[in-house]
Amino acid sequence: MAQSSLPSTEPTVIEKVVAFVDERIGLKQMQAKMLNEPVPGGSRWAYVFGSVLLFIFIMQAVTGILLMFYYVPTADHAYASTQYIIHDVDYGWFLLSYHFWGSTAMVVCVFAHMSQVFLWGAYKPPREMIWLVGLALFGIVMGFGFTGYLLPWDQRAYWATTVGVEIMDKTPLVGDFMARFLKGGPTPGQMTLSRFFVIHVMILPAALMGLAGLHLFLFRAAGPAGPFRGTPEEIRAKTDYFFPRQVWKDIVGMAVVFASICALAFWEPVVLLEEATPDPGEYHPEPEWYFLFLFQLLRLKVFAGEFGQFLGAIALPGAFMALLAALPFIDRDPERNIFKRPIALISWIAVMTAILLFTVSAIINREFLD
Amino acid sequence: MSDDSLSPTKIGLGILWSAFWTALPIKLAFAIVFMAMDLMHLENRLGLAFLMLLASPVTVFALPIISMGLESHIGEGAGIAILFLLAIPIDIWALGIVGRTYFLEKFRKEPPDGLGLTLWWKSAAVGAIFLPIIWFLVSTVTSTAISMAHSLLDMEIFKGIPVAERISVELTLWGSVSAIVLLVLLLIGVSLVGRIIRGTAEAARPVAENYQSIVTRWDLMRVPADQGLTLTALTLGGVVLSVLFWASLPVTTPHPHECCKKPDVKVEPPFRPVEALNKDEKRMAQLELQVSALEKQMAQAEKDKGKGKPKAAKEAAPPAPKKP
Repeated sequence: MAQSSLPSTEPTVIEKVVAFVDERIGLKQMQAKMLNEPVPGGSRWAYVFGSVLLFIFIMQAVTGILLMFYYVPTADHAYASTQYIIHDVDYGWFLLSYHFWGSTAMVVCVFAHMSQVFLWGAYKPPREMIWLVGLALFGIVMGFGFTGYLLPWDQRAYWATTVGVEIMDKTPLVGDFMARFLKGGPTPGQMTLSRFFVIHVMILPAALMGLAGLHLFLFRAAGPAGPFRGTPEEIRAKTDYFFPRQVWKDIVGMAVVFASICALAFWEPVVLLEEATPDPGEYHPEPEWYFLFLFQLLRLKVFAGEFGQFLGAIALPGAFMALLAALPFIDRDPERNIFKRPIALISWIAVMTAILLFTVSAIINREFLD
Repeated sequence: MSDDSLSPTKIGLGILWSAFWTALPIKLAFAIVFMAMDLMHLENRLGLAFLMLLASPVTVFALPIISMGLESHIGEGAGIAILFLLAIPIDIWALGIVGRTYFLEKFRKEPPDGLGLTLWWKSAAVGAIFLPIIWFLVSTVTSTAISMAHSLLDMEIFKGIPVAERISVELTLWGSVSAIVLLVLLLIGVSLVGRIIRGTAEAARPVAENYQSIVTRWDLMRVPADQGLTLTALTLGGVVLSVLFWASLPVTTPHPHECCKKPDVKVEPPFRPVEALNKDEKRMAQLELQVSALEKQMAQAEKDKGKGKPKAAKEAAPPAPKKP
């Protein structure tokens, strides 16, 4: 009688399945390792960018796969199939617009994540490897933007790619090979589209998955850097585990980004220009907005001519990326507080202001072209 | 020990910034549903309008004033007004939760009752007065700076500057003036809110616990009393908003390209079998009546014909030849 009133200790089906998997792969240990990571100084909104980037990538993969059900990567069907997605497929316009704005969100979040790591001084020892892999991931995200831009095969896509490949051509030693490899002929055509498509849907996603995995592994090995301010007593008192507070903040961050992308898809859904032709006509070639600053920079007289174009398009951005890669090895000062690193703070403000200034200048420049 | 070194700007920024991010996800969800339902259209300066709309503790009264007085139109649709109304309780909640945490952590003071409401109405009042002033001043300064930069570069000595360089120089000139004025005015506004918050904090009584206990207190403050209920409510809210969103999302693009505009197709009325059967039955009965009426008429005509025929025939027929 007394025994029958006791709660049943018989495990449920789910518990049995979990125990079965746990015995074989150590699920619970893995879960504990992932969720019970101590976060020095407690959870913060500033730490959400990494998880948000992973979320955006997953959403890009999902929407990209759905779009591939209808998209035809051939020069004579790419434009028509994209128009078909926009005009005939149920919710196709929304999927394509989400995918388009998702790529923008990814670039913005990469900038935000890199800025956060830079300002927090989180690239300093022992986290140099995380920073280097992060830079490679930044390059991959830019590559996604560049290769995906050609796929709708309208005038904007065609001419932005033409300009981009011409810029690449100016790279010493490998430039000519890279430009010929990407174009697959004297002018962009079927071979260009096929190659960009394969790079966009096969090579870059595989590279991103591999490097993102390595990035996460290195991050877990080194541990979070924590805040750059506060006494050891304060940081210790606030230290918390990754679950549940940081997980909750990450979820809210993902929801905000998802809602923002949806809002942008509503405001500015993707509208194609005329189908790509080797004659630009009235259209003034222009790259995607996150390359606009570089495009405007190349319009300056100082970057005119063969050497000037090389200087502005290849040497300057290359030197900047090399400086970023060398940063953890040049900056050996253990101080992480950004307000005690005036050179770092001023450099960051200067770079951001320059990007903003040249991007807005490129937008104003459109009036002069029209 | 309270942190007396905190400047009013730091206090204002600390509370307004955190409250903005706390309330943003909820308001954003409503904003998207309203857009999908075609209840809200935001016009020019989209980013600014959207940000201001969502930063509503200080914009709830300021934006209507700016729209009315300074001829600046942020958009159309009932959704904007509904979003503002919905934002009021959301902002009071967000300011309350952020304010209580801030009072404990930074001031080491007991948060007074109704802190969210107090901070909300005070921020809204400051915003209602200060934001239209900022809007007017920044607009005036920007337009003056643009024309000055333009005239400066129209001078003879700068005539040779190429277009790209000219654009960047002009933008740097008016952009820096405009940005500095905006930044200074925003800092003054935030500092005003900070002063008000500090005034409220001065009246509060200090906490007696040590730092670790305070951390635990403010940490637990953000954990809902009934977590199961909160999670269920959040899930249900999410499901309702998702259903509303997908139900009102247009199936085809709202901006069709010239090449692919669909011809206007007249929609067929829906087929209702019972009604159609009844209608057909009525029609058949009517037709039957018509047929029988016609048959009757014909029979009558035949009859009349039959009756009249011998007479008529008699009348029409030539007289029969007499037999010899």
